[in-house]
Amino acid sequence: MTASLSRTLNGLGLLALSLVLIAAFADQLLLGELPCPLCLLQRVGFVGCAFGLALNVKFGPRPSHYAVTILSACFGGAVSARQILGHIVPGTGTYGSAVLGLHYYTWALIVFAAIVLGCALMLLLDRQFEGAQAGQGAMTASARPRAATFGLAMLALAAFLALANGVSTVLECGGGLCPDNPVVYELLPGISKPKP
Amino acid sequence: MMSLPFFGLLAAFGCVFAGRRRAALAFWALSMLALLVLFRLHATDALTIVL
Repeated sequence: MTASLSRTLNGLGLLALSLVLIAAFADQLLLGELPCPLCLLQRVGFVGCAFGLALNVKFGPRPSHYAVTILSACFGGAVSARQILGHIVPGTGTYGSAVLGLHYYTWALIVFAAIVLGCALMLLLDRQFEGAQAGQGAMTASARPRAATFGLAMLALAAFLALANGVSTVLECGGGLCPDNPVVYELLPGISKPKP
Repeated sequence: MMSLPFFGLLAAFGCVFAGRRRAALAFWALSMLALLVLFRLHATDALTIVL
């Protein structure tokens, strides 16, 4: 696999992670389900994973960039696993609605595991790293205009989602810690929609 | 406080755009540290499971 193909695949990975975050936002905004604190930390894990892929897109593929993504997935996955264990006993309740029979935190753990698996598979392909150590990996828009434009667009989308999540979290929790079961935006009490 | 990791990662993305890899990695590391601290603060209830 060439560095260029690897960069394109990382751009597609960024798109996939962005879609995960957009789906979570859609649930929050359209269904009025406010994310719990652990749900927010899982979103941080996804943004961290996206950051590792963004490094590959911008600076060229390196093992350390995949390590950033794997570590972020492990941290996010640990939060997901903790939340699953909190509800794993029947009768102990759940948080949020289920999608295709699984709750969001369960899907999150599955996606984090898939991210680790995907990164491990990418790390098997050594040819993508040739030339990266010599500083030839950095993206130049003039060299590969279409790949550069796609990659940078996905990078911008992921950065925007980090900003949107940050703003949303401030509106939901204010400057402190979030309540365990949030029902209103602390800074927008007038327009908060109660959970169904 | 819960928004700190998001804004840290936003700063990391900004550094990526600016071509500052080391600074971006530093912001990422701080954000992950914040994630772990917030996780510790929020995961306080005992689990009803036997391992």
